[in-house]
Amino acid sequence: MKKTPVSRRFTLLAALLSFAGLAVAQAPSGPPIRIGSTLALTGPLSATAQVHKIVGEIYIEQANKRGGWLGRPLEWVLKDDQSKPDLARTLYEQLVTVDKVDLLFSPYATGAILSAMGVAQRYNKVLVHHTFGIPSLVKYDMAFPAWSLGSDPANTVPNTLFDALAAGPKPPKTIAVVTSKFPSIQFMSAGAREVAKKRGLQEVLFLEWDFGNRDFGPIANRIKDAKPDFVFVGAIGLEGNLLLDAMKKIDYVPPQHFYLYPSPGPLVTLPEAKNALSVTIFEEQQPFLNNTGAADFVKLFRERATAAKLPDPSVEVQAAASYTAWQILAAGVAGAKSLDDKAIAAWLKTNTVDTLQGPLRFNGPGNYGEDLMRIKQVQNGHWTVVWPKAFTAGGATLQTN
Amino acid sequence: MSGFTMPSATLLAQSILSGVFVGALYGLLGLGLSLSWGLLRLINLAHFAFAFLAAYLCYQMAQMGVDPLLSLGLIVPLFFAIGAGLHWGMMKFQITPFNSLLVTFGLTGIVEALIQTIWTADFRKLESSYGEHNFKVAGLYVPLPELITLGLAVSLSFVVWAVLRYTDLGKALRASAEDSAVAAAFGINEKRNALLLAGTCSALASIAGVCLALGFTLAPSQIYAWIGVVFAAVMLGGLGRALAPLIAGIVIGVSEAVTMAVTAPSWAPLVSFTLLIAILLFRPGRAA
Amino acid sequence: MAAAVGPREPSRWRIPLAIVALGAALAFVPALGLPAFYDSLLYLILHWIVLATSWNILSGYTGYFSFGHGAFFGAGIYTSATLMSRWDWPFLWTLPVAAAVACVLGVVVGAIVFRVKGIRGEVFALLTLAVTFVLGTIIVNTPIDGGNGVSLAAVAIPKFGPTPSSTFYLLALIAATATLLVAWAIAVSKLGAGLFAIHDDEDAAEVMGVPTYRYKLVALAISCSLAGVAGGIHALFLNYVTVGEVFTITVPLTVVLMSVLGGTRHWAGPAVGAVVITLLLYSFTAADYAVAGKAMIGVILIAAILFMPDGILPRLQRLWQRRRSDRPAPPLARAPLPTVPAHGSAAAVGGVLLQARGLAKSFRGVKALAGVDVEVRRGEILGLLGPNGSGKSTFINVVSGHFLPSGGSVVFEGKELAGRAAHRIASAGISRTYQIPRPFAHQTVLDNVALAAMFGGGINTPAAARREAMSWLVFAGLQDKALDRPDALNLHQRKFLELARALASRPRLVLLDEVLCGLTPSEIDDAVALVRRIRDQGSTVVFVEHVMRAVMALTDRVVVFDHGELLAEGLASEVMQRPEVMRAYLGQADVDSGHA
Repeated sequence: MKKTPVSRRFTLLAALLSFAGLAVAQAPSGPPIRIGSTLALTGPLSATAQVHKIVGEIYIEQANKRGGWLGRPLEWVLKDDQSKPDLARTLYEQLVTVDKVDLLFSPYATGAILSAMGVAQRYNKVLVHHTFGIPSLVKYDMAFPAWSLGSDPANTVPNTLFDALAAGPKPPKTIAVVTSKFPSIQFMSAGAREVAKKRGLQEVLFLEWDFGNRDFGPIANRIKDAKPDFVFVGAIGLEGNLLLDAMKKIDYVPPQHFYLYPSPGPLVTLPEAKNALSVTIFEEQQPFLNNTGAADFVKLFRERATAAKLPDPSVEVQAAASYTAWQILAAGVAGAKSLDDKAIAAWLKTNTVDTLQGPLRFNGPGNYGEDLMRIKQVQNGHWTVVWPKAFTAGGATLQTN
Repeated sequence: MSGFTMPSATLLAQSILSGVFVGALYGLLGLGLSLSWGLLRLINLAHFAFAFLAAYLCYQMAQMGVDPLLSLGLIVPLFFAIGAGLHWGMMKFQITPFNSLLVTFGLTGIVEALIQTIWTADFRKLESSYGEHNFKVAGLYVPLPELITLGLAVSLSFVVWAVLRYTDLGKALRASAEDSAVAAAFGINEKRNALLLAGTCSALASIAGVCLALGFTLAPSQIYAWIGVVFAAVMLGGLGRALAPLIAGIVIGVSEAVTMAVTAPSWAPLVSFTLLIAILLFRPGRAA
Repeated sequence: MAAAVGPREPSRWRIPLAIVALGAALAFVPALGLPAFYDSLLYLILHWIVLATSWNILSGYTGYFSFGHGAFFGAGIYTSATLMSRWDWPFLWTLPVAAAVACVLGVVVGAIVFRVKGIRGEVFALLTLAVTFVLGTIIVNTPIDGGNGVSLAAVAIPKFGPTPSSTFYLLALIAATATLLVAWAIAVSKLGAGLFAIHDDEDAAEVMGVPTYRYKLVALAISCSLAGVAGGIHALFLNYVTVGEVFTITVPLTVVLMSVLGGTRHWAGPAVGAVVITLLLYSFTAADYAVAGKAMIGVILIAAILFMPDGILPRLQRLWQRRRSDRPAPPLARAPLPTVPAHGSAAAVGGVLLQARGLAKSFRGVKALAGVDVEVRRGEILGLLGPNGSGKSTFINVVSGHFLPSGGSVVFEGKELAGRAAHRIASAGISRTYQIPRPFAHQTVLDNVALAAMFGGGINTPAAARREAMSWLVFAGLQDKALDRPDALNLHQRKFLELARALASRPRLVLLDEVLCGLTPSEIDDAVALVRRIRDQGSTVVFVEHVMRAVMALTDRVVVFDHGELLAEGLASEVMQRPEVMRAYLGQADVDSGHA
């Protein structure tokens, strides 16, 4: 249809006005909203904490570009807790009582989060946390999890895993459970043993090692000797890699193997890690990329992580949980239309938030919602989701060695 | 916790072998530490930082295509110079043994920060062709990187032992350690010998670092993971000795490995450290 | 250690009063209404003050560097955590139990380790480090922790102040004040003097009468109890305890660093180090500089040690003393010189004081003493002669308790002494000098002698002991050197220091080991006169000597040893003429060709 000159000018004016309006909306104004948190920027936990730093920086930038929260710009007050929970506690007190930040945010890992939670509880601040591994320890009403483990992960996660295995080409009959005695790992491995027993799997080996163990040779040997169909490795950080190295040295490849919380990058590039299973709440593939904020975030993270020289610049559990936490807090503030912690908490408890991981709710025990952990596998040097079917892409299925 | 399970002979043997390999690395790391503590009267915590720095350099060069063992050609002289330089500084300021602990602790923090700045805190693994080779001897697996580590540890320990025992330099070093004033009166050039020894200790640390890079995944915070057990090997063997750290390291490594083979691995530290305590309490009157 | 000479009693209480006053003043900090963060930060500083100072009580004072402080601290943490979480004990009641458990653990370890000879230095450090890992492994593998950590979220924090953080702050303040008081009290007491002596020369200390085993155990017990209390408090501060956080090398390494930085010989040194290092670690928490901050801390530590090698506190003390050096030193008080040993018995001069029968000592097959019978009579000067290697020094070492005899008996004033611990022999009334003087290098000349008065002589307060010591320094002519360190003395003076030290415990029997060797002829004359005065004022003297002129001049009787056996006995002038004696000294050929 031919546009008349008048309507054309009108359209142009409308476009200009909306553009101007958009420009106005894109510049947040007023005193910044200060969000305070700590991260383990130095010390043994710093390897993973640096991912969280990058994610936070990305989110703050994006948010400020979009107009901030409640029209105000965001400012992140970040401190280094040096991987020490007692320092984390002190710093959170500083953030609340001296720096007087408006909102608190999560530190990295269970120990520090517990410290932060204690402080948050004393000052009635809401705390959205992203890497808390032991849901049963959450006793604070205004703490909200971004990592969707569900409130009973020791039960639900192994069930998901064994469902995946049962639907695979070679459902295992015998299982070896080897685990680190690290707090957030151990109870999960105990749960896995229970579930395995209930499902009629025979446990041919159970081993625990000291967190900090360097020599995995004997452990690898015992696994090989026990000849299990499936190995459940309760490993965190490097331990999975060390065990795989040790198994390679004795020329042993488990028929099927699972690693609970591996360090993201190193495992996927290891040739021996072929067909290793793990859990995830997000991967850089469909259908996850359709979730709120996913596509942009993935791109930005890749850029920043590469610039920061991280060996693996892809988004996985840590980065995804971190970004989700920001999304949750943002939704809470927007929903409550204020910075009042009680209002934010009340809103979150009664609403669903659309995040990277999909829609999340917070009305279960410890404010947990469903267990959203999916099973992923290293295939051709990439993490690929293989279970549940609804979350797979391109017809990916579970492979066996 | 599982009780005792009788392992198969192969399992036991393989585990013992594994313990020998990791113990050899403890010994190699401990060699330089023992010499500098015993003969130079300096407790060098930075020894571990140097080992890791060397490991990272080896990794970096491997990324650029240099064979890890060839990289020793650059790394060893570099760390020799660093070690001698550090000792020159210590001598100039007349640092006492326990103060050297403080100074080297500070140095370790600096090196760790340096490593983290250049290579990030993330884990780095050196993938080399050596990792691909695995020999099978009498039904037991002998991976090449571990074999290299064992070989280097044993040969270096013997070389150092021979130097200390049979050469004039070695005797001079031992004399200076016992009574430096008297040794100097006999014409021993203590300063030059000390610099030589300090440089050698750091060079040994760097070789241990390359072995670390060949066999282990690296992270800056891992520096501290080795301190406890290597100090244990050094003190168990007695200071200022060449073969002792290796033997002590292997004893510790094997005792832990055997424990892990027959019972719950999480008890391993108990066995190795109790063994350590027992040996220290009952060994025939060797003065520290 | 600053020697506070002079018996002005009021000054003695200045320091503890200052500590208590400071503690009381700091107790008002929570009431200032500052943000709770300051309470927590100050809590951390006080917490480390307790840990470092308690570590120093054993390790700094005695020189037994322990790397096991983490074990005792951890024992305290887990005791409190277990009592609170499993049996619902109220927080405050768990603290004394935590102290007790840590104390018992320490005493058990010490009782075993201190008994073994030769556990010094690095070996002790390793043993204690091993204890840490052993304990950690046991705890993580048993239901105490089991690997899951212990959560204390449900435990009520008692309300002492406006915020929960102020509770921890106040508790830590009480603990820190108590710890500093204890550390000071030990440093100025007889226990402390003994500990410092052990640091410098444990064997000499033992022979002088310091009950070294008991003292080390006491120091360890106190050290561990305080660490246990700190642990108990910290458990609730952390709220969630895991083995991986507690039983590592970090805690011991940190307390060592804090103490060395602050100065280990002073009771307040570790506290200074604790404050400096905690503040340093804390000040670099801004995110932008986290990694660089770590490097900065390293640089600062290195700089601190280069410029203050003895630690911060001694450096400050020296600066302070230089400013006060123009003030004249107060005159040193001394007690009047005794003429009769304080606890001499009424037995007549000439009766048997010491009887050695069949006394033997072997060193792995070498018979240094092959069964000698020697009688020492009260009031005499007995010469102990013989060629080198004949067993004279060994005899003295065995009688004084420096070595345990391999056989035979030693009866002194009717009591059997063979096989008893050296410090008991010293308190029985025997003392000795060393051929190569072994003064306590880090103590003043006065304190060296005072130690002997306290331990061998049974005087219980350092102040009284110093008065006694001063008299003996006058006796030996060393009064002008009282406040100097032994390394400022020449050989002659150091020998006389040995003598003064031997006499300060008012022994009935003094064993002198080659006192004259290395002295010039005029110095020998002085020494001979001194030995005579020693006997004249009531002690019996046995003296090993080669200088014949002195032997002839001084001795009432001599015994001659050869190859570990008694060769001859009698008057000096007569014994020295005997052919077998001459043969022993000079060799066969010379005797045959020599004169009678």
